[in-house]
Amino acid sequence: MSAAESFVAESPARRPRLFVALGLPPMAWLAVFFLVPMALPSALSFGQNVTLTRIAVTGSLANYAHTLQPLYLRILAKSLAIAAATTLVCVLAGFPTALAIAFAPARRKPWLLALIMLPFWTNLLVRTFALMAVLRPEGYLNKGLGVLWRLIRAPAAALGFAAPPFHPLALMNTDVAVLIGLVYVNLPFMVLPLYAALERMDRGLIEAAQDLGAPAPRVFARVILPLAMPGVASGVILTLIPALGSYLTPDLLGGPSSLMIANVIERQFHAADDWPFGAALSFVLILLTFVALAARGAMQSRRS
Amino acid sequence: MRRRSLLAGLGAAAAGISLGGLDGCEAPVGRGRNGEEARLNLYNWDTYVGATTLRDFRAATGVAVKMSLYATNDELFARLADGNPGFDVIVPSNEYVTRLRLAGLLQPLDLETIPNRVNILPTFQNPAFDPGRRWSMPYTWLVLGLGYRKSRIAGVPDSWKWVFDSDRYAGRIGVFSEADDLVRLGAMYLGHAPRDLPTPVIDQVAAMLIHQKPAIKVFHHDEGQDLLLAGDIDIVMEYNGDIAQVMAEDPDLDFVIPREGSLLDSDCLAIPTGAPRPDNAHAFINFVLGAKAGAEIAQTIRYPTPNGAALELMDAAYRDNPVIFPPPAVLARCQYGEFEGLARSRLYDETLTRILVS
Amino acid sequence: MRAARLVSALWLVVVAVFLYAPLAVLVAFSFNDSRRDIVWRGFTLKYYAQALGDADLIAAFVNSLTIALASTLASLILGTLAAFWLWRFRFKGRAVAEAALALPIAAPEICMGVAMMMFFGRVLPWPAEAPWPLNLGAIALSHITFAFSFVAVVVRARLGSFDSDLEAVARDLGATTWRVFREILMPHLTPALVAGGLLAFTLSLDDFVITFFTSGPDTVTFPVKVYSMVRFAVSPEINAASTVLMALTLLLTALALRVQGASARLVGAVGA
Repeated sequence: MSAAESFVAESPARRPRLFVALGLPPMAWLAVFFLVPMALPSALSFGQNVTLTRIAVTGSLANYAHTLQPLYLRILAKSLAIAAATTLVCVLAGFPTALAIAFAPARRKPWLLALIMLPFWTNLLVRTFALMAVLRPEGYLNKGLGVLWRLIRAPAAALGFAAPPFHPLALMNTDVAVLIGLVYVNLPFMVLPLYAALERMDRGLIEAAQDLGAPAPRVFARVILPLAMPGVASGVILTLIPALGSYLTPDLLGGPSSLMIANVIERQFHAADDWPFGAALSFVLILLTFVALAARGAMQSRRS
Repeated sequence: MRRRSLLAGLGAAAAGISLGGLDGCEAPVGRGRNGEEARLNLYNWDTYVGATTLRDFRAATGVAVKMSLYATNDELFARLADGNPGFDVIVPSNEYVTRLRLAGLLQPLDLETIPNRVNILPTFQNPAFDPGRRWSMPYTWLVLGLGYRKSRIAGVPDSWKWVFDSDRYAGRIGVFSEADDLVRLGAMYLGHAPRDLPTPVIDQVAAMLIHQKPAIKVFHHDEGQDLLLAGDIDIVMEYNGDIAQVMAEDPDLDFVIPREGSLLDSDCLAIPTGAPRPDNAHAFINFVLGAKAGAEIAQTIRYPTPNGAALELMDAAYRDNPVIFPPPAVLARCQYGEFEGLARSRLYDETLTRILVS
Repeated sequence: MRAARLVSALWLVVVAVFLYAPLAVLVAFSFNDSRRDIVWRGFTLKYYAQALGDADLIAAFVNSLTIALASTLASLILGTLAAFWLWRFRFKGRAVAEAALALPIAAPEICMGVAMMMFFGRVLPWPAEAPWPLNLGAIALSHITFAFSFVAVVVRARLGSFDSDLEAVARDLGATTWRVFREILMPHLTPALVAGGLLAFTLSLDDFVITFFTSGPDTVTFPVKVYSMVRFAVSPEINAASTVLMALTLLLTALALRVQGASARLVGAVGA
């Protein structure tokens, strides 16, 4: 894993029974309840509709060829960009949050965790509508800003600055609104892994560094950050991948061009009624993720 | 498409629905006169039934109705495509009646057991998507048009031009993100009938919408009336029934069916293949087509009803509302969107994707 | 150090405002005498009466909670096993196994939903008429499948920071594997288990797409009910129900923490 990992993994040959006892249940579960079910639509991706509901698996690659059209590659690129931006904002906002929780007094921690998690036990759709009520042109954010603007406008005019009248921020139905919505939805998926990594970090190390006179930024960069890296990595996985697959947020908050790849996939299974193509798009996405994750894992193994 | 009841007497309405649900939960599973279990699984849009319909049906027949919910026709179709998980009555829209029938997912109706079908208005007796009403009975109907905010729009915007082909209302326009409707209405604006569209016309529609895109604020998913009411946009493609609902909240809103004509839509009752209790299903459909039950439903939902006997029982505010019941001359320019095969709907879908990406 | 405390407290306030501002709107609108979340039309409590009297809504919520609790427990076990396995052993194909275990996170919801529908329709037909809560089995199995991946990723990251010197010392002192596990590894893992459990619970409680495709007439969950009610606009009844649920969650959390007394035990006090 990271530099912080001091444990040396052993060969299965030394503890064969433990190897099986640990590995078999999750791998068997994955095989039976994920790989087998997913094999069904994956077969469809090599087929074509012969009637409205009957799909003949012909082994044709036509659906995959279709996914490689510039039209769909552009949507994929755009989705990646939005998901990456979401992840970046989540790291920047989530790191100090996780740090603040991890370093809070013990009796406050459960409360702080609850503070972060509570909003997420309210239904996603309901929360997204509430966010729309905040962001829309005549929504609460703009109303609040308008009041603030009027308050500072009078004194500014007295001082000779003629401030223009307030124009509501056009946030709704833009890519920015999608970004805000995705950060809103995905933040705990960054905060929780980060918290899990930072919690019970060896304070001795930090204090020793401080005692030796290291300035705070240095302590952060040299001590805290390396310890947090596994958490950042898992947070990135848990934020980037689901963000890439979101469709409700771009649907409701996005503008005319905020289409993401999951919206297209969703329409194949619904409106367009093209399950073979929807499945092909899905498996392209899954394959890309798999290759990225496996490459990352292989790189780590080589490093350690 | 969203379906929900609004307007009058809502507290009572919702309480009635939940009571109906409760009845369903506690139903002792006995057998009815027809030998079927005295139960019925209705698969419907939420709150898309009269306040007391389910309770009344139980009182009349002893059959307890359990209502499950879907939000779009696509969801309904997808859920049935791999086998009926136990639903007896469903409520698809016209185009999906065709789709479900062609997919072998509907049972033909036994018309003998639905004597109340005589209550259906003549216009709905023999629609193109179901000649002779062998597969479905009409439940409600709607027509697409433009909802608009009177104070922000000059005069009556009675042309699709104002959303498809003009920047006069740039940044304040909402259009449907339903591919079929969008392409067909675009073609109607360009002077074509909305069926068998040649490829050049589809391309022309796409080019027009791509050109128009900077002026369009949002491609909505049938929440246009809410966006209009909230002031996010000032002119929007929507169904008459939906705009009629927000007009009750804001007198500055109005609705018009553009002069180029428009698309009709009708939700219908049907029985899916493999329905466990087909006799109860027929009994339910017949019950809903009755005058009193139909009026009860129209009273709650306030969408246009195709049930003539029910219409006679309704108040004037509903019957004479020109948004709910547009003049016949205007309706004469409207027609049903037809399901034209998978290749067609996929072509329309990709056209929409093209528009959204460019 | 003082300044750092202040800054971090301030930051938490900023995050809380971001997270809670929309919820405040939601709560306010639950008292609004209008069917729509748009214009304020006066105060009413009628939507609370409606939500609390809605037996279907309550039944759906009980289903959701049952599924969420069961799948959180199972995901914690499976995810932790997977994380231990990947951490403990070095073997050929470990990188592939690790990536494969993260696949359920990458599968687009709708595709996985359709896959599950086909699976429980054809390969492993689930008796929809089974007595409650067994009829929820297909949904719970699907939820475990995507949730345990999240747990595995979080626990795996936490194991990365385990100081194996501690284990070596303990072993030198004659500790059994089981004792090392229970007294050294488990306490170290607690934060990851809390975090992973919270994620799994949240994911299950909020899942709509996959649940939609695996539920039948008698197995409606809260999100399925909510989505069909409000797909394109929130009804105040749902706002009222959400407000009640938030208040309940808050109350239960407070109670749990009180009962726990030293809340420190929940998260671990070392380093506080």
